Amino acid sequence: MKEDRRDGFDPDALRRQFAILNREVAWLDNAATTQRPESVLRAMDEFYRQHNANPRRSVHRLGTEATAVYEQARAATARFVGGAAPEEIVFTSGTTASINLVAAGLARGEIGPGDHVWVSAAEHHSNWVPWQKAVHAVGARLQVIPLQPDGRLDLEAFEQGLSGGQTKWVAVAWVSNVLGAVNDVRAICDLAHAARARVLVDGAQGVAHLPVDVAALGCDFFAFSAHKMFGPMGTGVLWGRSSLLQRMEPLFYGGEMIARVEEQTATWADVPYRFEGGTPNVAGVVGLAAAIDWQQALPAAAHAHVAELARQAADGLAALPGVAVLGPTTGAPRPSLVSFTVQGVPAHDVAQVLDERGIAVRAGHMCAQPLLRRLGIESAVRASFAPYNSADEVRRLLAGVQAARKIFT
Amino acid sequence: MNTLYQASLLAHAKQPYGATRLAPGTEDGEALNPACGDEIRVKLVWTPGGTLERLTYELHGCAVSAAAASMTARCLEGRTRAEVAAMGVAFASRLGREGFEAEWGDFQAFNGIERFPARMHCARLVWRAVEQALAKGPGGSP
Repeated sequence: MKEDRRDGFDPDALRRQFAILNREVAWLDNAATTQRPESVLRAMDEFYRQHNANPRRSVHRLGTEATAVYEQARAATARFVGGAAPEEIVFTSGTTASINLVAAGLARGEIGPGDHVWVSAAEHHSNWVPWQKAVHAVGARLQVIPLQPDGRLDLEAFEQGLSGGQTKWVAVAWVSNVLGAVNDVRAICDLAHAARARVLVDGAQGVAHLPVDVAALGCDFFAFSAHKMFGPMGTGVLWGRSSLLQRMEPLFYGGEMIARVEEQTATWADVPYRFEGGTPNVAGVVGLAAAIDWQQALPAAAHAHVAELARQAADGLAALPGVAVLGPTTGAPRPSLVSFTVQGVPAHDVAQVLDERGIAVRAGHMCAQPLLRRLGIESAVRASFAPYNSADEVRRLLAGVQAARKIFT
Repeated sequence: MNTLYQASLLAHAKQPYGATRLAPGTEDGEALNPACGDEIRVKLVWTPGGTLERLTYELHGCAVSAAAASMTARCLEGRTRAEVAAMGVAFASRLGREGFEAEWGDFQAFNGIERFPARMHCARLVWRAVEQALAKGPGGSP
């Protein structure tokens, strides 16, 4: 589409790097998982074909190579999050594992009866339930940063809540997977740190669309998944401040996470290896590094294109009769996604009608049941975009939503 | 079948037979589809003679689960507990497998649903709740 070409960026050319997009599908479910370009698939394939060995424990040449690519990926990931030290990067199976590691391995030991842990009302279940479990284990309280009427987080209420001095931990998403808004993480971190609390940021929905700089965000931990940024599933990252990683307990005990094992006791390997017990997912990490390379080669216009598609979709949907767009419509950037409800049409049926037209969207509670309950809805539909999507696909989405409404009214 | 949304299914979904509000705790059975959050709570009222007088339910779900609940509420009326249980087995063997014969009437709208495996759970939702209610025995809810 000619209208999609801006500053030399051509989504159709980009699209050709994704074999799966040759299928008759408008992939608007990128917030659930993006697709992977050939370069990522090739890098993973090449690892298994050329370098496969168990890293960090083998003297042979393949083992040396596997160790090298694994640690190169760690260094690349450290640069990706804004120039952290490689040893501040822990490879995990995904955002969920990263958050659970912090909640159970560090936070649980730092909170006690009567203490507060805060999450935002818009958190994904994976940044909610681990904190629920942590507070229940020690008799602390889970507090919720409420939403303002316009859908943005109510940071005044948060600040007031912090004033009691019981807060030890705060867990918040960078970008809500339902509302699509970028949260003011910097302000949340500043408030939390002024109250001597620690902050974990769930970066899963931001890493594909926004430049990452953990120092600028001001957080203590930052978690994300490779598969939401054009990399493979089953691979994730936890960045943590070195001093805090030193205090964190491993969750998985076993091979390669130890320093010395006696019959009755053991000591741990250095950070971050102590958190990576067992044979790691080297191919996944290699794929992550390739995804980082691929993403960093994208022109700025690619990200502007995604935000423009999200804006077109949000504006177009909001203009349709019977359609309500969730989240802030003004005042907060919407880099990549829009969720909505259609009056008289259950969300799954909207998605089904769209699927019949070759358009893939997400429908349901989107792993944010507490948020949907606050919004007074049971489910919603979400369209989420990537650089390979087009304005034509947005038009097809809008036409499909109108068709769904017609079927049901 | 190119679409799930045949006229008979939509007719039930738009005006579901037996749909109501049930006060919390008054249900005889319930079922939840954790993947999508769809939820149904059913109440079974039996005649003194032991046949089903009325199946009512509160459903929060999609058109497929609504249509299945509506058709089921209609077809189970007047049946004994044993017959209701047998219908559940017969339904399970047809949905997405053998398909529904002409005598199943509107249920034929589900023929071909195996092309949409994710939606088979929706069609089953009401039956899971009914089976839970039956399992509680003739005494109904405690």
